[in-house]
Amino acid sequence: MSTLLEIRGIETGYGRIKILHDVTLDNASGNIGLFGPNGHGKTTLLRCVSGLLRAWHGEIRFDGQVITNLPPRRIVERGLIHVSQGNRLFPDLTIRETLRLGAFPRRARAQEAQNIERVAALFPKLRERWSQRVRTLSGGERQMVSIAVALMSEPRLLILDEPTLGLAPRIKDELCDAIKLISQAGVKLVVVEQDVEFLLDLADHLYLINHGEVAAEVRPGDSMNHEAIMEMYFGRQTSALT
Amino acid sequence: MSMGVGIGRREITGMVVGAVVLALLPMVVQDSYYRHLLIMVFIYGIVASSWDLSLGYAGIFNFGHMALFGIGLYTYGLATTLLGISPWIALLAGGVLAALAAALISLPILRLKGIYVVLVTFAFGQLVVQLIISQSDYTGGNQGLVRIPSFHIPGHNLMRDHKLGFYYIALILLCCSTVFLRLMVRSRLGLAIRALRDNEEYATSRGISISRQRLITMAGSAVFTGLAGAFYGAYFRNASTDVFGASLTTLLLSMVLLGGISTIYGSLLAALLLTIFSEMIAGLGAWRPIVIGVLIILVMLAYPGGLYGAIAAAARALRRLGRRQASP
Amino acid sequence: MSTIVDIVMSGLFQGSLYAMIAVGLALVWTTIGVFNFAHGVLMTVGAYIAWQLASSDALGLPIFIALPIALLASAAIGLLMQAAIVRPFIGRPDVVLLAVITTLAAASIFENGTLLIWGPRPMQLPPLAAGTVKIMGIGISAHQLIIILVTPVILAALWFFLTRMRLGLALRAVAQNEDACHLVGLNVAALYGLAFGLAAALAGLAGIFLGGFTFMSPTMGSEPLSKALVVVIFGGLGTIAGPIFAAYIIAFFEAISIYFIGFYWTPALLFAVLILTLMLKPEGLFSRRSRSLA
Repeated sequence: MSTLLEIRGIETGYGRIKILHDVTLDNASGNIGLFGPNGHGKTTLLRCVSGLLRAWHGEIRFDGQVITNLPPRRIVERGLIHVSQGNRLFPDLTIRETLRLGAFPRRARAQEAQNIERVAALFPKLRERWSQRVRTLSGGERQMVSIAVALMSEPRLLILDEPTLGLAPRIKDELCDAIKLISQAGVKLVVVEQDVEFLLDLADHLYLINHGEVAAEVRPGDSMNHEAIMEMYFGRQTSALT
Repeated sequence: MSMGVGIGRREITGMVVGAVVLALLPMVVQDSYYRHLLIMVFIYGIVASSWDLSLGYAGIFNFGHMALFGIGLYTYGLATTLLGISPWIALLAGGVLAALAAALISLPILRLKGIYVVLVTFAFGQLVVQLIISQSDYTGGNQGLVRIPSFHIPGHNLMRDHKLGFYYIALILLCCSTVFLRLMVRSRLGLAIRALRDNEEYATSRGISISRQRLITMAGSAVFTGLAGAFYGAYFRNASTDVFGASLTTLLLSMVLLGGISTIYGSLLAALLLTIFSEMIAGLGAWRPIVIGVLIILVMLAYPGGLYGAIAAAARALRRLGRRQASP
Repeated sequence: MSTIVDIVMSGLFQGSLYAMIAVGLALVWTTIGVFNFAHGVLMTVGAYIAWQLASSDALGLPIFIALPIALLASAAIGLLMQAAIVRPFIGRPDVVLLAVITTLAAASIFENGTLLIWGPRPMQLPPLAAGTVKIMGIGISAHQLIIILVTPVILAALWFFLTRMRLGLALRAVAQNEDACHLVGLNVAALYGLAFGLAAALAGLAGIFLGGFTFMSPTMGSEPLSKALVVVIFGGLGTIAGPIFAAYIIAFFEAISIYFIGFYWTPALLFAVLILTLMLKPEGLFSRRSRSLA
């Protein structure tokens, strides 16, 4: 299985402050999981992949083609869809309007009706609130809308940046099930998540991002258990402290 | 820059030297045209640096500033022609009325934010114009006021001194205005208005009253603007609604912005450069505002931080060059 | 009776003009977050381009051919203006202030450019339709009647576009969250251009309406712009519906005030009411706190 997303030697940051130092992720198979302490470059890497942030150095390939520093809409058109953290979305649009907007890429328009049905089946809760403004939704519902919008754009690779941030456990489970279904339908995932349990559930290949670098990785064959990950995570942090 | 209260010794020295140089300048500059240029620089300098107080220091998006100038102008014109009041008293009345108008306009904007302040102050300017035009029996409407009496100094003819008298009157106004503005921004009030601009919530939590500070700032920025307007009337001996127009507003606004906001001296420097440039191309007619407009846009595109920002950038580059040469 | 018809007709006519201008201002504000002080001169330019095409002293094309060309030209000018003097400042914290100065400068450039090209002599556009129509004993020009009837249709079409069509939804989305727009694959720069171009076309149309009714001059846009300012202060800039309601309310207020108090003091009265309203309700009569269209 060839890798859908290849990242080689990416360096980037904000203004003059460099956040990522030579990040390479080119051997991933299956769903990718990123973890690591906050503020160490996970979101920055995702923003760089989806074109929101310019890469200073390095190369990003999607399905074999170079997409480094393309405008975000060109990247969206190829089927790489980024669901960003926080999900402010468009507070004054209704769910239905937001989903229509998701089908903006030309490739996705033909499938719009079909995708709406698919999304509604995946998130039955949303269908009840079809013409409600997004600002009136709960955090969990808003997260569902974010993922639903992404599905409307016919993704081949879905980037999820901390999808369960601040959600109640029950909603988390619901969301995790939905995301699994999406993955089973053939959409590859890149997931950033603090909840290790959740991450282990979804991702095949894990990378620890620390100080703007890939500090460690867990390949699909490796034994991945909760403790080992926690040790990797916190072991590094405590060693950094001492 | 220290955040202390009051004007520092070095600055006072600088002010005195500047004032003395300007006071001696007419001995070198004998030509009345060049004296006229300097008078215009002084007038626009007063207006632009006063605008900097409200727009730059206090962060009040006041776009009715030229209306305050116009109010000073028409107060002087109407007071001297209709009421026959002494020009010197009418000059003061121009400043007082402009300050009152500024206080009045502060009332509705005290609770407003951002763009709405722009709109209300801009609309205020438009209202003043419409009132002046509609009351044409008194104001001359679109034709304007003509043959406005000028100042009278016993034993001196202001019309036949190659503009020396007007030069000194304008210079005195400029000096008073600059000292006044610097005192205001270096006072406790000045610190408070800057604190409000930079962090409203924090400042109010420390007991700074928004309303009172904004009212005082607006009135303060109006006093010498109104005086300058009145002086303008006495100098040109006519008044027209052109002073409210987009061309002059843009010119003055660009002095504030090119000077770099929150730098009273920056607006004075920009007033010097832009007034001279604008007067030099006065022969271009309708092309003049076009050239100025294009120039302003180009400078804003190249240096959105203003002329001061450009100078600072140049100074940095020079220093870097100097270092490189010093350490080969 | 005829007085009432007179006031109603005048209110509807002025209201249509104000609404058309104010909607364009609100469109640009909500999507791009800047206030366009050149909106008034875009009216002027639209009217003069139409004159160049339609006047018997110039090309002499029929008005219904001249009109769409003039609107396209206005939209193109708006688009270029956006790219040259607004777009470069997007993303800066002081964008509002910078855009005020650059659009004011553009207003000055276009006003004087019009003066250079067409001269100060007042001119008149051919009306959209000739003749007068009698309504309840009051004669009203066919031109005015068309404006009264067509404006609500155009505003409704704009509303339909913004709430029912995907491109319109995209415009509203840009107003709300730029980053999220990038991530659903919208061309944000093009949407900014579209908002500005559309607003400029609306301004041009208002200019053509006005030019067929009163004399045109290079400064013809400044008075309607100042009225539109009052309208958007009243109605709030945050929505499209707010300024439309406010436009008609203010036009009726003016019509009544002119009848009872007189032409001269009406602006002052209007402004006094405005100040009072703002002291009681600082965000405008119909506005919400956020920027959003429709």
